[in-house]
Amino acid sequence: MHLDVAFSTLFHLLTTPRLLLLMTVAVPMGIFFGSTPGLGGKLGLVLLIPFVYNMDQITGAVFLCAMHAVVHTGGSIPSILIGVPGDGPAAATALDGYAMTKKGQAGRALGASFGASTVGGLLGAVFLGLSLPILEPVILSFSPAEFFLLAILGITFIATLSGNSFLKGMIVGLFGLMCAFIGLDPSTGSPRFAFGQLWLWDGLSVIVAVLAMFAVPEMISLGVKGRAFDISPEHAAALQKSGADIPSSAGTQKVRYGQIWRGMWDVAQHKWLVLRCSLLVAGIGIIPGLGGDAASWMAYGHTVQSSKHPERFGKGEVAGVIGAETGSCAKEAGSLLPTLFFGVPGSSGMAIMLGAFLMLGIQPGPTMLTDHIDIVWSLIWALVISNIICVIMLITAAPWIGKLGSAKASFLIPYVLVFALLGCYLFQGNWQNLILVLVMGSLGYLFKRHDWPRAPFIIGVILGKIAEDSLLKALGIWGPSFFWRPISLVLIGLIVASIGFYVWRMRKPAAVPSHA
Amino acid sequence: MLKRIVVAAVGAALFLAAPANAADSGYFRGKIVTYIVATGPGGGYDTYGRLIAKYMQKHLAGSRFVVRNVPGAGHIVGANTIYASKPDGLTIGMFNTGLIYDQLLKRDGVLFDLNKFSWIGKAANDTRALVLSKTAFKNTDDFLKAKGPIKFAASGVGSAAYNDTRILADALHLNVQIVPGFTGNEGEMSMLRREVVAEVGTAESMEDFVKQGHGFFALAISGDASALPGVPRAMQYVKDEHGKRLLALINALSEIGRLTAGPPGIPANVLNEERQAYDATMKDPEFLAEAKKLDLDIHPMSGLQVEGAIKGALNQPPETVKELKAAASG
Repeated sequence: MHLDVAFSTLFHLLTTPRLLLLMTVAVPMGIFFGSTPGLGGKLGLVLLIPFVYNMDQITGAVFLCAMHAVVHTGGSIPSILIGVPGDGPAAATALDGYAMTKKGQAGRALGASFGASTVGGLLGAVFLGLSLPILEPVILSFSPAEFFLLAILGITFIATLSGNSFLKGMIVGLFGLMCAFIGLDPSTGSPRFAFGQLWLWDGLSVIVAVLAMFAVPEMISLGVKGRAFDISPEHAAALQKSGADIPSSAGTQKVRYGQIWRGMWDVAQHKWLVLRCSLLVAGIGIIPGLGGDAASWMAYGHTVQSSKHPERFGKGEVAGVIGAETGSCAKEAGSLLPTLFFGVPGSSGMAIMLGAFLMLGIQPGPTMLTDHIDIVWSLIWALVISNIICVIMLITAAPWIGKLGSAKASFLIPYVLVFALLGCYLFQGNWQNLILVLVMGSLGYLFKRHDWPRAPFIIGVILGKIAEDSLLKALGIWGPSFFWRPISLVLIGLIVASIGFYVWRMRKPAAVPSHA
Repeated sequence: MLKRIVVAAVGAALFLAAPANAADSGYFRGKIVTYIVATGPGGGYDTYGRLIAKYMQKHLAGSRFVVRNVPGAGHIVGANTIYASKPDGLTIGMFNTGLIYDQLLKRDGVLFDLNKFSWIGKAANDTRALVLSKTAFKNTDDFLKAKGPIKFAASGVGSAAYNDTRILADALHLNVQIVPGFTGNEGEMSMLRREVVAEVGTAESMEDFVKQGHGFFALAISGDASALPGVPRAMQYVKDEHGKRLLALINALSEIGRLTAGPPGIPANVLNEERQAYDATMKDPEFLAEAKKLDLDIHPMSGLQVEGAIKGALNQPPETVKELKAAASG
């Protein structure tokens, strides 16, 4: 485990003012990119890469890693306060986080989010450090066969997230799967569902999907209602009785430190959930091929499934925020492993980081463990330190951050839509994405208006492509016999158990989570 | 005496007024040149592009280079964008040599004609090689005698690596099964997991895998003997003419890696100035030192030579195109 290197690199990071300063600068940048709907961590990395061009290896890598480590924590802010996620993982937080804000518990949701993401990030880094000796056999145990079955396991969560109507959830989920198949057919190389448009050859971007299903509908809804949300007199009375924040007027509320600490205490009370989600997601992140977005949704799905009260999810259950946020942040550490040691990115963000590493002259591969272990430990500590800096900054600024939820529609709508559209354009440089996000966003609004769940669409888009690519590779390598591989059999068992558990729960009238 | 002083003064004035670079017409002074990279940021093309742009800016006095990433459809979107740009020399860029296959195969979406680009130069060789897993084969002969089907990892159907694999299999009459869809180093990982036993790619990208002892270079498919010393050349095992033609095509493509070009119709003097700046970049000691630090192979070729090489690569007899189409469609 190279403990001597581990501690010497930590000492170096903490005693080098330039590195500390860079991390302190990187963290608010990561929070900014994560919290601005449409921008996201990947765009942040893209924009910062030219700046690290002339830095030395450790400085450049630590700077980028510190920025990227806190992006999802930042992404939880608009998810919770205005129901607009910046990327795929943040959408899972919005399901319960925004519902908590509508109940006047924005402060508690933020506190839970900050606490869970920090602990998740720290546990992920610990997992990363402890995994180093057994890394290679673990990563090599998972093949396209297992990627396919893990994707199917994730897709079964569509049922869990379907809320009151399984049929509606499946229709939306299948629509998402269909959208995932837009692009080049992996078995023939021919364009599929591209309608002769070159820009669709690379498929539908997850960013476009998330913004279309969440950002645009929420802003349309906000524009129609004129305020963020309504609180009825009965609800206000219930809030007063429970001691929660009462909005000073409909659509406004103050975030107080008391609520923040309450939310962080919730994380301590859900410690086993946090530990399970961290290990689950860090483990998924370590396996290249499934992707970081999928990991967060799987953490959320596991949280709902393992809860004694699944009917509370989607209505403002703090455990939903905790599970989603733990998953969002723990996966980054896990996904760093295959990126560094095999040159295979564990997530889309890591794909960009990999390019940056190559530009810095860091050559990923097994020699990282022998010849560059100092860089590996520097990155692990950068994850830890940046998460700590992030939570200190966010807690300090929480009352001011909370004002975002009180912002007037006339300010919020153009702010969110401009950045959302900017993010859609900048990510791939396609102006056509702007039209696509508005058209699909209108569809997302109709879903919202008529109480159709939107989360299954995101699951379908994220996991559909992974499932198809992996299935084709698995069939190409083994034929149908891949189902009999030992780990495959275990995963098939989990899939059956997941579906069976849902069916059993469906028989209980009150045990149905609500997601719209 | 006075006459000599006047002549000397005029001469000095003319020397001082002359541009520092003999090719500097002043056209690029104060202008922004957009260097398009047909991939997303990070990665090989982006690294090469940014480095070249940085030093071309140095050698085009007064210019400012801005790198813009235009990814999509396997470099086709970026190449289309460069092709359609205004031919004023202020938009140039880099894309994959594999687009030669796309043009020969008349792929949908290709809106350019590589014969018409204003070629500025190329920076590297893309020596193609076959790497075999050490757990599956002892040596090249072992591989050539295998009955198969031999499982190959390859990137997406229609990509340059996929086409190279198909061409090699066809030229050597091998019984192969290609598993497509592996990007980056995923193919090597698949070999480590013993799912596949072979992969065709650039020698540079697979060098680490070989150095770590997991595989070996079984065949050098392109490049000269100095590129992969001691590795058998694929051409020596090809018996028929159509196989030789196909391998010659791969060889031609591999010599023109990391191309830089502008749209058709750039005025000759402007293009000439850009070519000279590119050539100066390729010889610049600082550029070479930085490329070495980034582990980038630099084997430059001038724009005129690239133009000839591209024309040669595209000028294939109909039977070769037919064979290429058959090989690529599997």
